[in-house]
Amino acid sequence: MQQAEIHKFLSDFFHANHCEIIDKGPGHLVVQLTIEMDKELMNRPFYWHYLEKTGGVPNPMSLTLITDQKLAPEGLKGDFIHFGSPRLHQIFAVSKKLSRHIRLFEKINISNGQAPLFPWLCLNVNITYECDRKKDQLYSLGLNLINGTITEGFFDTMQSVSLTPKISDYTFTLSPIIRYQSGIVRLKNHIQTMIKNDNHSWAADATERWNKDLSLLNHFYEDKVEEERESYEAEKEALRLQYEPRIHVRIINGGLFYLTNNAI
Amino acid sequence: MAILNLQFDRICRSLLKGKMGSAMSNIPAIHFDDEWETELEERINEDGPWSSYSLFQLGMEAEKHNLIPDFTGLIGPRHLSGFTPLPHQLEAATEVIERMNGKAILADEVGLGKTIEAGLILKEYMIRGLARKILILVPASLVSQWGTELNQKFHIPACIYRKGYGWDGDILITSIDTAKREPHRSAILEQSYDLVIIDEAHKLKNNKTRNYEFVQKIQRKFCLLLTATPIQNKIEEIFYLVSLLKPGHLGSYSSFNERFSAKKRSTKDDSYLKELVNRVMIRNKRHETGIEWTSRKVESVFIEFSEKERALYDAVASFREALPEKLNTGFSSLILQREACSSREAVYFTLRNMLEKYPDASEAYKQKVHELIGKVEEVNVNSKAEKALELIKTINDKVIIFTEYRATQLYLQWFLKQNGITSVPFRGGFKRSKKDWMRELFEKQAQVLIATEAGGEGINLQFCHHIINFDLPWNPMRLEQRIGRIHRLGQTEDVRIYNFSIKETIEEHIMKILYEKIQLFERVVGELDDILTRLEVKNLEEHLTDILAKSKTEGEMKIKMDNLASMIEFAKRVKKEAPSSAASGNP
Repeated sequence: MQQAEIHKFLSDFFHANHCEIIDKGPGHLVVQLTIEMDKELMNRPFYWHYLEKTGGVPNPMSLTLITDQKLAPEGLKGDFIHFGSPRLHQIFAVSKKLSRHIRLFEKINISNGQAPLFPWLCLNVNITYECDRKKDQLYSLGLNLINGTITEGFFDTMQSVSLTPKISDYTFTLSPIIRYQSGIVRLKNHIQTMIKNDNHSWAADATERWNKDLSLLNHFYEDKVEEERESYEAEKEALRLQYEPRIHVRIINGGLFYLTNNAI
Repeated sequence: MAILNLQFDRICRSLLKGKMGSAMSNIPAIHFDDEWETELEERINEDGPWSSYSLFQLGMEAEKHNLIPDFTGLIGPRHLSGFTPLPHQLEAATEVIERMNGKAILADEVGLGKTIEAGLILKEYMIRGLARKILILVPASLVSQWGTELNQKFHIPACIYRKGYGWDGDILITSIDTAKREPHRSAILEQSYDLVIIDEAHKLKNNKTRNYEFVQKIQRKFCLLLTATPIQNKIEEIFYLVSLLKPGHLGSYSSFNERFSAKKRSTKDDSYLKELVNRVMIRNKRHETGIEWTSRKVESVFIEFSEKERALYDAVASFREALPEKLNTGFSSLILQREACSSREAVYFTLRNMLEKYPDASEAYKQKVHELIGKVEEVNVNSKAEKALELIKTINDKVIIFTEYRATQLYLQWFLKQNGITSVPFRGGFKRSKKDWMRELFEKQAQVLIATEAGGEGINLQFCHHIINFDLPWNPMRLEQRIGRIHRLGQTEDVRIYNFSIKETIEEHIMKILYEKIQLFERVVGELDDILTRLEVKNLEEHLTDILAKSKTEGEMKIKMDNLASMIEFAKRVKKEAPSSAASGNP
């Protein structure tokens, strides 16, 4: 992530969270936090607890973020934000936390008649293959809740569709034929099939490494006595935790999209 | 044991079956997170609240930035700012993660940045989400330094363990001495760690110690052992170290002993062992790193005793004959001789102890000790200290003085103060906060730091580039650690080392033979490990003590010392002639 990209991300983030930007330049941002953002970012639960108990006047903090020391005003004191800085990763985490569920409608201008909007269920998922190493894959899936069509790359497709949180005039939503619950099941099945069709030599390799270490361990404890059984079992368990291949599917976010027939 | 083998067989068989069976059966278990569904249902029922589209997009963008694109390669370095790891450090981290599966001995020579390598590995595992719960065990003197490095260089929120806070924190740094004491011990053994890092791990070379037994019991997935001296004396040490990391890698103790014990080992076994060890050990050497190192300038400074100092030295040297039978090991006399070369205070301290320790010793003995104390009192000048003062004034810059004796340390502090030179003391026994404070005082205010042996380990003082070895340790590894405190990465100047010794004393013998003839100073510690292992010199220090204590005459001592020196020289030559086997490192 380049510094300019970070700058834009931060600016978008505070804007989306309704925080007033007091001062800004190409290398810095000074942000007046809202009460909500103060609670999310400043890690001072006692202050807020105390304030709520005593009914005092809330005084959320402001935050000075520097994304380019050369472009920022001289002598400005603040957090230098780079790709590894804990503050940025905290903001990433808050972004993810606050964007879990969405409902959007396609925005259209109708001159005559009424246009139906088809309900779609969107899931953005992270599929993680994990052993003593790790790899993530990002998928965005959409399921048409009327006819059961599944499309991949849903999130990217939506970038060219105009969307609004409030339904446009002269449009109406069709009732789903597939219930959300079974829609989720269908998408999960789809994900499972995708995983099954993937190459899993990584898991076989991990198991091989695991077995190698296990056979060494067995050899090590070969001429040992019963008292050492406990440590043998503990070491064996540690090897399992280290190498055992596993797959996690985590839903990043998703929700309902109501789209015209030709949106996809 | 039959049960174990059976289990293992079963696992192997089921694995083979898996491999040959359909592709489906090879797929690891899939875990779905179900929380999201429930939340969605709530929102549908309540008609909100829904996130805004811009946040939704930012959430996805954040996720993309956090994505781990592949099993291999380092992501960590992209998360660093303001410092760039060196190529050999990045290579080491990759190697540990991708070839050693996160279990390794980091054994770079002193000053090449083992801490940086450990930090890179730790960071990588954290970013990948493979390590959350981490325990870092380091010598007390290094605790806060590790904390600062991890937080500032790597942005890793590592905390230093503090009394009363418990062991539930995610990333804790503490000293092994604290950790192994109850109630901490039990609390730590209850946890399950993803990664355990142990600095100065050569202290774990003996499987009979409490430290070893404790570390062995800590539940852990990944483990890093850091040491500059993986083998100090015996080949068994590497067996215990590796077995702590990866039990069975070098076989069981009996099979190891059978194959690799000193007597039976063949050259073929030797290189096989080397290869095995190299599978779990990273050992970068200075000359391989391609980094321009500042050089070491070593100067031997020979000093003449004053008349009264000489009288004291001679008196303690002949003290052996006067000792009662049970105390006459030659050892005490040798200690006194070494001390006499350092300061009269050091001698006095030992003499007092001897009187207190054996209150029922014969009157003749007591009288002899009192006579010696009399000689101590007559000494009115410390020739070495005078020389040191002169040198410090000429250098006119920061200087570290190392001495083996506390009494000398105290004396030097007083002596320098009398002569208008500011100094701070440094000892292993200092509390952590005091050590940091002393280091800071030295950097900002004092000209001289006076350290005893124990203080030599584990503190970085790169801002200084002059060392006076007021007296010399007999173990060259300890000497290397002294120098390593300042001759390390980050040192921009040539390092000047002044070795003091008194003419016509045992000190001169040691200096001439060990340090000049074999050029131990210019040589790096890695080489020395090699040579000592090759020679099967069990313990160089013991060996020297033995020669010096048991030799009846000056001539006998000289011959024995010369023998030792030529043995070392011989080993050095052999090593040069067979560079291929030695190049791969230890052991």
